[in-house]
Amino acid sequence: MTTLRETPPQRLRPLVPVRARAALTLAACSLMGLVAFGWPFFVTPGPALDTSHAADAPWLFALLLPLLAAVVVAELTSGGMDAKAVALLGVLAAVGAALRALGPGTAGIEPTFLVIVLGGRVFGRGFGFVLGAVTIFAGALVTGGVGPWLPFQMFAAGWVGFFAGALPQVRGRTEVWTVAVYGLVAGVAYGALMNLWFWPFAAYGPEVSYAPGDSLAANAHRYGVFYLTTSLGYDVPRGVFTMLLVLLLGPAVLAALRRAARRAAFDATPTFVPPPEQPWR
Amino acid sequence: MRAAASLTLPRALHPGAWWLWALGLAAAASRTTNPVLLVLIIAVTGFVVTARRTDDPWAGAFSAFLKLSLVLIAIRVVLQALLSRSSQGVTVLFTLPEVPLPSWLAGVKLGGAVTAEAVLTATYAGLQLATILCCVGAANALASARRLLATVPGALYEAGVACVVALSFAPQLVTDARRIRQAHRLRGHSPRRLAGLRRTAMPVLEGALDRSIELAAAMDARGYGRTGNASPSSRRITTALVAGGLLSMCVGGYGLLDGSGAQLRGLPTLLLGTVLAGGGLAVGGRRTQRTRYRPDPWALPEWLVAGSGLSAAVALFATAATTPAVLTVPSPLALPAVPVAAVLGILVGLLPAVVAPPVPHRVGAVASRQPRTAQVSA
Repeated sequence: MTTLRETPPQRLRPLVPVRARAALTLAACSLMGLVAFGWPFFVTPGPALDTSHAADAPWLFALLLPLLAAVVVAELTSGGMDAKAVALLGVLAAVGAALRALGPGTAGIEPTFLVIVLGGRVFGRGFGFVLGAVTIFAGALVTGGVGPWLPFQMFAAGWVGFFAGALPQVRGRTEVWTVAVYGLVAGVAYGALMNLWFWPFAAYGPEVSYAPGDSLAANAHRYGVFYLTTSLGYDVPRGVFTMLLVLLLGPAVLAALRRAARRAAFDATPTFVPPPEQPWR
Repeated sequence: MRAAASLTLPRALHPGAWWLWALGLAAAASRTTNPVLLVLIIAVTGFVVTARRTDDPWAGAFSAFLKLSLVLIAIRVVLQALLSRSSQGVTVLFTLPEVPLPSWLAGVKLGGAVTAEAVLTATYAGLQLATILCCVGAANALASARRLLATVPGALYEAGVACVVALSFAPQLVTDARRIRQAHRLRGHSPRRLAGLRRTAMPVLEGALDRSIELAAAMDARGYGRTGNASPSSRRITTALVAGGLLSMCVGGYGLLDGSGAQLRGLPTLLLGTVLAGGGLAVGGRRTQRTRYRPDPWALPEWLVAGSGLSAAVALFATAATTPAVLTVPSPLALPAVPVAAVLGILVGLLPAVVAPPVPHRVGAVASRQPRTAQVSA
């Protein structure tokens, strides 16, 4: 009788390698993305953005971000994704988009995060970023939800996938718990970021709104109040739900993704042998 | 006259034209808080959507966006009423019981007197956001997502293909899930348990992953991944353009945020950066060469539709430059002004209801809702 031996844990070659050029692009775009999210905190009192054109600033960044997202995705995928990686990306994005269309969406319950976090975990940082962005984009197309929030969501979900791919390489029960805790943190952080982009629009009252020209500490305090009163009730359930999903489905999904990666044989490098010289040429 | 230039020949309009029209109206809405103009813009988008809507699944997006914007206005009004202070007006509508809050919430007040001024200010400010959302919703309902994906630049080829795969597979997955749940029910498993979720989710995922490998084989067989003739110099130009664009975007963004000195240089540097990065995308697109199957034409109807949206934006921007006072409501309780030029400019936005080609009647409308996986690899 033959015994099936567990293959030793080995790192899968990242499907979307983050080379130096792509890493620099990602860093620059992420920096601009962070500014687009959190410009109310970075702006110094004085410039036109802060005084006369404060109402236009969110739209300026909403127009700028799609270009940044396009640049970073183009740069990441230009390293030569083969057909298997593209098909896998498309199918995982389809799973995420279908979950997004079907998911209740109420109380922040977002099963899409499971796909992005676990996909990024198994297939690496670069793939995680592209998977997050493409999943959100495809989900918006399926549900007809393309709006000014879309580029912000794409960046935030991209970061969620990226950092899932950057988690330490552990296996077994530790891995599931690491990913589950990461899901909790990512769910809450995603909500805090997505609130931030909407905050300048949300003129709910002078105590919780962005005040142009005010000091950083005062604005941060008002954002804290805004966050506590309006969205913490959404973000904590999202994080907890993601964590529970990872604990429940994580081991099976991780095994399924690794099995797919083995079957696709991403590590196999084809070698081409030139044909023997034809005498009639 | 070319057939594409005909205004009456039924065909799908280029999705870019619909987006330009909608973005023009949205830009117009961003210039004003005058409720007359904002409601007019919502009416224009609603009329055009009703006139030129298809029977695609995303055509219902407009009503979803309309509901979302009504909810946004409602949330804003309720929160404003709860948090408002009497400093925002003197016309008290009614008084709510006041809730004492801990001191670290520094001056937040829950309840108390609700003034008409506070409620109207919240409604007008919410209406502007709602109008912009309605414009975006109209574009979502009118522009075909699939045709939009066909126009992605070559540099995003891989991501675009992945999106098309996702769009084709997502309905298939829903069918799979239904089939598997039915099989479980036939075997006598109760479908409403937590373990039931796992029993449904895992076969769907495994099936999808298996299909991705088959799809990859099909794509390989059809010559996916053929690279274009990008020379090393064009690759170097792409790198330089993207790097320069990002650098000047960062510098421009810093200039915008930092008030010391370089204020004016912020926006032009940022614009230069976007142009450079866009050029980098265009040049980088040359590395993939592909042919288009039945490309969407850009003919007279597209120009008219895009132009009508831009005319609304131009009218509002011109009014904002000459008589900015009519675009705002001086005090919440005053009657808003009705600027004629702006109203006419917005009404031009109605043109697509007539000049956009009628929606083609699809014979196999039901059959085409089935997922078409074959076209993925095309």
